[in-house]
Amino acid sequence: MTLLEVRDLRVEVAGIPIIGGLDLGFDTGKAYAILGPNGSGKSTLAKTIMGLPEYVVKGGDIQFEGESILNKSITERAKMGIAYAFQTPPAIPGIRLEDFICKICPDYACKGEDDMFMTNGCVCKDTLYDDFERLGIANLAKRDLNDGFSGGELKRSELFQVLSMRPKIMFLDEPDSGLDYDSLKIVGRELKAIRDEGRTTMVIISHHRYILEFLEIDKLFILKSGRLVYTGDMSDIPVLEEKGYEKFLEGVLPA
Amino acid sequence: MTSDNERKKRAKEALNKPARYGSDLDLEEFEYPESDIAELESLDEISSTEKQLLESVGIDPEQNRAAGAFIQLDNEAFLADVMIKQEGLEIMPLSQARQKYDWVENYLWNAVPVDTDKFTARSELEVYEGYFIRALPGVKITAPVQSCLLLKKSKSVQNVHNLIIAEEGSEMHIITGCAAPSSVERSLHLGISEFYIKRNAKLSFTMVHNWSEKTLIRPRSAAIVDENGIFVSNYVILSPLRSIQTFPRVRLVGLYAKTELNSVVNGVGESEYDIGGAVSLEARRATGKVVSRSIATDKAHIIARGDLVGLNEDTKARLECDGLLLSSQASIRAIPMLDARVEGAELSHEATVGKVGAEQLNYLMSRGLGKEEATSLIVSGFMKLEVPDLPPILQRSIEEAIELSLKGGM
Ligand SMILES: Nc1ncnc2c1ncn2[C@@H]1O[C@H](COP(=O)(O)OP(=O)(O)OP(=O)(O)O)[C@@H](O)[C@H]1O
Ligand SMILES: [Mg+2]
Repeated sequence: MTLLEVRDLRVEVAGIPIIGGLDLGFDTGKAYAILGPNGSGKSTLAKTIMGLPEYVVKGGDIQFEGESILNKSITERAKMGIAYAFQTPPAIPGIRLEDFICKICPDYACKGEDDMFMTNGCVCKDTLYDDFERLGIANLAKRDLNDGFSGGELKRSELFQVLSMRPKIMFLDEPDSGLDYDSLKIVGRELKAIRDEGRTTMVIISHHRYILEFLEIDKLFILKSGRLVYTGDMSDIPVLEEKGYEKFLEGVLPA
Repeated sequence: MTSDNERKKRAKEALNKPARYGSDLDLEEFEYPESDIAELESLDEISSTEKQLLESVGIDPEQNRAAGAFIQLDNEAFLADVMIKQEGLEIMPLSQARQKYDWVENYLWNAVPVDTDKFTARSELEVYEGYFIRALPGVKITAPVQSCLLLKKSKSVQNVHNLIIAEEGSEMHIITGCAAPSSVERSLHLGISEFYIKRNAKLSFTMVHNWSEKTLIRPRSAAIVDENGIFVSNYVILSPLRSIQTFPRVRLVGLYAKTELNSVVNGVGESEYDIGGAVSLEARRATGKVVSRSIATDKAHIIARGDLVGLNEDTKARLECDGLLLSSQASIRAIPMLDARVEGAELSHEATVGKVGAEQLNYLMSRGLGKEEATSLIVSGFMKLEVPDLPPILQRSIEEAIELSLKGGM
């Protein structure tokens, strides 16, 4: 069943057209890769779906569970089950990562005296800390959100937050960039477990093969200059890595 | 005493000297205290509304976690109390200390020059009272010492002069709350505070204010820090007031002397705040930090100043001035000043003033938070102040006071 569908989507940023007529569909429980050269519009697509206001939809539609979400706010989209792990998240001083995770996760959530603040007396479920350990970022629990996190730490913190939201579909923007070998394995295992559960649709924007192959993604899309230029699967990845986008696309596109 | 005459003479000459910053005030429009202060025997003589005011600034007169307490009502009455088991701590009204110790005269108007401006001058020439708090040499007082000044009379001046001395090798943490009930009409709090931090001593001074809409506040504070001494000041203003102008100055006169001046302002109503701090790096290896966080809502106007003066080589100081504007009718101006007079004085600053960032807001919303919720989370995070040199109990009471005021104000 199609969970999220993008139809003839056209997007402008600061008055400049970035995505020009894009059609894509994502089915429930499947794993997708979005590939393409730098600046091809991958992050733009994900952010537009999330509803970030700089990304202005000039035409077409985005439908989630059969309903257009163009008029929905970011919050509403998040609550419907759409999540986006940022490529470069901003730092929010004064908010601890552990408190924030508790706030956004329905399972971890504990009620403070009011919903506004995590109070000192509010303790999250122990499983939260197990999850921090498993992701190898227990050191970040009491640190301020994204404040001074290393590149690899940012990626795992983003992943943890997005997973905590228990979304129906998640767009992971380069979850594997800047990770060391061990962290890469951790992230791979984490995503694999979710894929095996089969409830969450995964859309992974990436420049590396490891995670995509480890997850055995169902489908891959290649974007170029804001357009879909190729739809394929796992078997394309080695060829793609060998040839690079330019040569690969020369071979498959009609001249 | 000749020094006394000399001082009075200098004060008289400065009676018309305007303050360097802040709006001018006509000092003739207020009544001044006339008689000497009376001593209260016990807490029972303090009314329950007064006790509530004390609590609003984080002071609980009934609790026994404190090492000692000093409470002053206008210029009329005071209560000074040291826990019996707390040795090496002295708390008394300044007038008593002057009778008890000859040397107190040498400390008065030493850190704060009497002719600084018309406010210091006038203060000297009127009847004044305040607290004298002293930690004896080598004494480490870990429980906070509480002091509180209540301003209750309308159209009058609370003329306070405080003297705080941390003797060699001592440690002391003072939490002081100043408050005025909302019924007070246009009164002036004139507060002179002089801090002396001797060799190897550590003093933290945390102020939480709860003034009323019509109070005018003109504190004049200064500290002198000797070798290896540490002075930490936390100045927290969370309630509306008419206007406040303060610019404490810390002189680091001994090798390795260190200071940290933090201020947190929740600007509300039509209040005017002109808050700053100056650090004068006079000895080698002296280090200082001035941190200012302010938010402005309603029609509040905030000026946040910071002044670092490097007078000796091998010194280092930093200024951080951040303002968050939450209303289009409010304003925040950050005015950092760096003045290195010698080579080897390393002064730096960072100042940001702006609205809640759209990027941060969108980010939090993408995690399912509503716009208001995301905004208040950013604001409360912004106002969170972590002071490494503060006992946890004081850190918590600052946090609680700030959170309470944010919830009430938004
Ligand atoms: N906020 C913005 N302001 C101006 N230009 C933007 C903005 N966001 C994206 N763009 C531009 O849109 C184009 C597509 O950017 P996008 O970030 O979507 O690329 P990408 O495919 O994610 O690239 P990468 O692989 O490098 O992350 C780029 O040319 C980029 O400079
Ligand atoms: Mg990108």
